[in-house]
Amino acid sequence: MTRLLVKGIGVAGAFGTGVESFQNALAEGRVTVGSIDVATGEGVQTVPAYRADTAGLEEFVPKRALRRVDHYSKLALLGSYLALKDAEMLGADLGRIGLVIASGYGATATTYAFLDSLISGGDNCASPTHFANSVHNAAAANVAITLGIRGPSLTVSQFDMSVPSALVSARQWLAEGRVDAVLFGAIDEVSELVAYLQHRRCGPRHAVSMVPFDAGSESSIIGEGAAFLVLTRDEGGPAYCGIDSVATGNIFGGELSLPDDALLLLGADGRSELARRYLDAVPAGGKAACYTPLYGCMPAAAAFDLAAAALALKSGRAFASPAGPSLFAPGKGDVSRICSLRLAGPSEYATVVMSC
Amino acid sequence: MTTWPVAITGLGCICAAGGTVPECLDSLYAGRRAPAHPTRFVSSHPTPFPVFEVRDYREPPELLRTSALAVQAAREAFADAGFSPEELRGLRVGVCVGTTVGSALNDEGFCRAHRAGEEPDLFPMERILNSNPAAVIARAFKCSGPCQTVVNACASGTDAVGLAASWIRGGICDVTIAGGADELGRITYHGFISLMITDDSPCKPFDRDRKGLNLGEGAGMLVLESEQVRVRRGARARSFVMGYGSACDAYHLTAPQPDGVGLRQAVAEALSCCAVAADQVSFVNAHGTGTPDNDRVESRVLAELFPGVPYHSTKGYTGHTLGAAGGIEAVFTVACLERGLIPASAGFENADPELAGEPLRSNREVAGGFALSQSLAFGGSNSVLLFGKGDAA
Repeated sequence: MTRLLVKGIGVAGAFGTGVESFQNALAEGRVTVGSIDVATGEGVQTVPAYRADTAGLEEFVPKRALRRVDHYSKLALLGSYLALKDAEMLGADLGRIGLVIASGYGATATTYAFLDSLISGGDNCASPTHFANSVHNAAAANVAITLGIRGPSLTVSQFDMSVPSALVSARQWLAEGRVDAVLFGAIDEVSELVAYLQHRRCGPRHAVSMVPFDAGSESSIIGEGAAFLVLTRDEGGPAYCGIDSVATGNIFGGELSLPDDALLLLGADGRSELARRYLDAVPAGGKAACYTPLYGCMPAAAAFDLAAAALALKSGRAFASPAGPSLFAPGKGDVSRICSLRLAGPSEYATVVMSC
Repeated sequence: MTTWPVAITGLGCICAAGGTVPECLDSLYAGRRAPAHPTRFVSSHPTPFPVFEVRDYREPPELLRTSALAVQAAREAFADAGFSPEELRGLRVGVCVGTTVGSALNDEGFCRAHRAGEEPDLFPMERILNSNPAAVIARAFKCSGPCQTVVNACASGTDAVGLAASWIRGGICDVTIAGGADELGRITYHGFISLMITDDSPCKPFDRDRKGLNLGEGAGMLVLESEQVRVRRGARARSFVMGYGSACDAYHLTAPQPDGVGLRQAVAEALSCCAVAADQVSFVNAHGTGTPDNDRVESRVLAELFPGVPYHSTKGYTGHTLGAAGGIEAVFTVACLERGLIPASAGFENADPELAGEPLRSNREVAGGFALSQSLAFGGSNSVLLFGKGDAA
């Protein structure tokens, strides 16, 4: 299996913008949770949410050029620019770079805005601008147009498994030599629709902090953000870490195979129905960590896990888990190999093994 | 970049042209098409636009129609490949499906009720979340390999097949079911009308009087298989995925780059995979939507890269099935290459003096060993598949 290198990281989330902000949040183990107001049958309700600010994009793109770009695509642009800058590839020839973007739900705010135009304006007044921007690959298109990327482009929407699924194909592009680098990223946004669904799912008593492994109660908090990586084949040179393997699929009756020498980075995110599956996946005596309370519950969180793992591997030190039982706080342990684990539904799984 | 061919051992298709691959081919070769006003939803838009619906098919209530169509086509493809459910369970089977609406949180009734201050039933949204097309196929056939729902707009199905071939070559899967699926509904219908790229008469790809596309729905699926498994089973290759290429225009969200630079790059990459020359290509299944812009760019590139090579659009029989189009047209391309007969480009009557060439006016026999299927999409995505002739029947 072709080993990849992580050459650059671009992140934006509730913790702030850029690697330094992310690293500080991982070190401190806390971020400020924001909120979103949403109309419900019982009036306007405030739903806790991890919000991301895209103001940092103006460092790279004139504000004027962003007038018609929605929040979803702005997140993608910000993550892309940050990752390329971190990899010292801004301004470089991007002729041999591919673009892969994963998103669980796509541009939900724009999708809802398009429906709103149809409902409020009638069938004759649907908004063409909202429609064109509601397609899932609108973010990839905006990134390609703005950065001048003319290589292959792929957008994947596999709900919770979007990130590892997309990574399978990104890795293949590099393995087959289609491209020399992949700008790989994930985005999801908090919108009125997502917040309303969360409100309906969790009821009026929203959790104020995430407790990822509590199978007895729901503590998920919706999140948004962008996490982008610049990936290359392992041909040496400076890098955060390597990606040794990517595996994803369904287990029908079998057992999950996990490396026994790696720190498990668990994607548990406060959804009670998945907490037990994550707990059961950790072998006796195994070391595990979980950082989702720093970025929230969203399919794109899997890419934040990869970015966090890359930072930990570069420094050789695992970050302490911000929440959960002590088993999940490796504390000051050295780390040279991390296995990111994502679970969904009764049978879906994904593992990404990374090492120094 | 050089890669090796990947065998295609099964085909499945459901669309307005027919409920199975043989039915679709019969329609294509007979020149039958039946665009009509939508029957599955109503519109108050003052202009009615014809569409290509899949008739006589009802999806189970717990699934999005998109995913149900995908499963239907996958079932035919697996059966065509000679796979029983038990055989599939012993293999690493991947699923790669293109779509545009199959994973979008966009239920109009739910939105309407929410906007009205009601507390709408969550069922429509739960159905969407339970209907990711690739995941649904994986559950239906107990596929244990990777699942990927590609959302590259109208190139999704083409990309899904190209990626699936890569998974086989990379040893990630023994078998992959790949293609595209999309349903037709009010949201896409009115969305495309708002963009003013739909024709209020039956679509006429590459015709002088073309006014736009007609929407359609359906699914097209292909079974791709590693040589190791295929040889062990003694399965016949109906065709081979010889090459795949894709490239961005990086130009505009909804309009293709006028000189077709991205399409040229995608074609070049697909041909380079197995070192096939342009003059070895027997025919091209063009994207051919019937929109002025698409057909102008495509005919220009075809005339320059494939002078004298026959091409056609099958959207005159199916409508533009969006994320399904690449899967359906891949199925058609493989089946036509296998039979050595390509159907006329339905809807084409009058040559456009502004276009460099014209598509097939009547069915034509072809003898060569390679055929191309290409897709152009919103977002400036261009994707191309190169197919090679399979084993003799």
